[in-house]
Amino acid sequence: MSCAQAAIRDTAAEPLLTLRARPRRIALVGNANVGKSVIFGRLTGQYAVVSNYPGTTVAVTSGRAMVSGEVCEIIDTPGVNALEGVLSEDELVARRILEAREADVVIQVADARNLRRSLMLTSQLAGFGPPVVLVLNMVDEALIHGVVIDHEGLSTRLGIPVIETVATEGRGIAELRDAIARAATPQLGVTHVGDHARFAHDLAVQFRRYRPRSTARFQERLSRMVREPVTGLPILAIVLYVMYLAVGVFGAQTLVGLIEAGLFTRFINPAAIAFVNWAVPWGFVRDFFVGEYGLITMGLTYAIAIVLPVVATFFLVFGFLEDSGYIPRLAIFSDRIFRAMGLNGKAVLPMVLGLGCDTMATMTTRILGTPKERLIAVLLLALGIPCSAQLATILGILGGVSFAALLTLFIVVVVQMFLVGFLAARALPGERSEFIMELPPLRVPQIRNVIYKTLLRVRWYLGEAVPLFLIGTALLFGLSRLGLLDSITRAAQPLVVGLLGLPAKASAVFIMGFLRRDYGAAGLFLMARSGELDAVQAVVALTVMTLFVPCVANFLMMVKEQGWKPAVSILGVVTVIAIGTGTVLNAVLRELHVTF
Amino acid sequence: MSRSEKARRLSSMDPGTHGRVARVTRENADRADRLAALGVTPGASITVLQRFPGVVFLCDQTELAVEPAVAHAIVVEIE
Repeated sequence: MSCAQAAIRDTAAEPLLTLRARPRRIALVGNANVGKSVIFGRLTGQYAVVSNYPGTTVAVTSGRAMVSGEVCEIIDTPGVNALEGVLSEDELVARRILEAREADVVIQVADARNLRRSLMLTSQLAGFGPPVVLVLNMVDEALIHGVVIDHEGLSTRLGIPVIETVATEGRGIAELRDAIARAATPQLGVTHVGDHARFAHDLAVQFRRYRPRSTARFQERLSRMVREPVTGLPILAIVLYVMYLAVGVFGAQTLVGLIEAGLFTRFINPAAIAFVNWAVPWGFVRDFFVGEYGLITMGLTYAIAIVLPVVATFFLVFGFLEDSGYIPRLAIFSDRIFRAMGLNGKAVLPMVLGLGCDTMATMTTRILGTPKERLIAVLLLALGIPCSAQLATILGILGGVSFAALLTLFIVVVVQMFLVGFLAARALPGERSEFIMELPPLRVPQIRNVIYKTLLRVRWYLGEAVPLFLIGTALLFGLSRLGLLDSITRAAQPLVVGLLGLPAKASAVFIMGFLRRDYGAAGLFLMARSGELDAVQAVVALTVMTLFVPCVANFLMMVKEQGWKPAVSILGVVTVIAIGTGTVLNAVLRELHVTF
Repeated sequence: MSRSEKARRLSSMDPGTHGRVARVTRENADRADRLAALGVTPGASITVLQRFPGVVFLCDQTELAVEPAVAHAIVVEIE
């Protein structure tokens, strides 16, 4: 490695020779939520998911960009608060890149409002020795808050280019491209080496000026209303209600009605059946495509007609919330509750993200401070957090039953999560970390980013979920043809019919739930609509499905994040809890003659 | 840092009070490091925004939310 490095250094000294063993690597490093991914997008033309909260980028992404006539590799790294001392997993990733000298140039991205913090990082970066360009991003927001930075003075003092940008609008990006060639190792000065805090403080005082702030008053008032309990809790209720209207009513009822009942039942499926019957002489093959477990009549109908409308509306609303900066503020309210479960308020981020997709959220548990916290969060995600598609089918089915039914499921799941968290916090070794969290500024989301993110996620859903739906359908078809489905249904009968009080047919739905939770939920949705489930059965079935094992993708992510043993243990624990809870719930509801 | 009359724990400051960080107690070094990385170091300007259900304050331009034990470790010189 050192030889290759030396070779690269040599060629770098002679600008006429730009032949390299590998493309020049430029790493974007900086505090969380300062806009690294936006700059990455501007430089490479690739879109990296951008949100208004720390921890959106949990893995290293890379892309190609043209910089002064040369193709370079740009590396987007997760946000870091420090590169020395006790580091989180994310910070270790960034540190390893610097230590291994994987980056030929570092672009340090800084939030212009937080010069002191950024300089603390600059001071630590200097210790690793790579040439640095300092980007002061979001200078427009800084100006609104009355912060002005003498970037030329700072550039002279540090001996590196300092560029002001507003990356979301593309301002300053051309200057940044030009500056990369002039990158240099930051000069800390004799008195300041090693004392990052003093270095940062002294330079910030020297180069930062405050002017009377202009228009941030409204933002401040809103921020206050959101975070104080008296106004904040009603606002939370309104947000949840709007979400219910958008996803549960508009998505799960209006759109699903239009697409499923209107488009699929009336046109696509009859057309497909007619076509297959005409083109295919063999009954077996016909059934494979358009039978009870047909690829088109079941697989595609579930994926496109029932789940897609719901997922798409959810992603849209969710993207809007993400970019507003609202979600992290929920941590203030939930900190005390999470502390009882061995976590802290920060855990609200993976939990809320889990409502989008538990698989993604499982990956986001990396932002939590200790291994114990990560394990508990992964367990709770697998146990109790319904993903968007599942949530919507719940709303779709129980919304039609009664509010009491919905409330029953909600309370049972929340109480179960709390109990499990409470016990896990005491049973598992290790510690929780203290709640210290940065709140991103509240912003009006950029509609373009929200829509783009939604499209990206819908495409991801289509790419990942649809094949699984089809595989699942083919599997069910195979099982049913071999007569195994009947055997499984019969074997599960004591459990499904006896303990849970559900129709025997529900066994097939739970098998589908193994593949993808929303696939199983969609099955329940259709059963409920055709009157095969009464109100109590619907509540019990959905409660079990919500608590039940995560989908295959989520399970694989659990293995990746925690290893086989914890993942399999979680699977076992969750299955037992789901069936146990369903049994008790069924017995209690029947005993009390609840009808909803 | 001498204990002047005006040095207070952040956890006991009322919302709206301004000051500068005098020091962060080191009985928990990990905590002090995490705070330092977020900019809570001697000299940083502090404005308390809220005390319940969690302590929220502005440190320079960064809005931070912490649990009471953490706020107790931050000593602020009131201006």
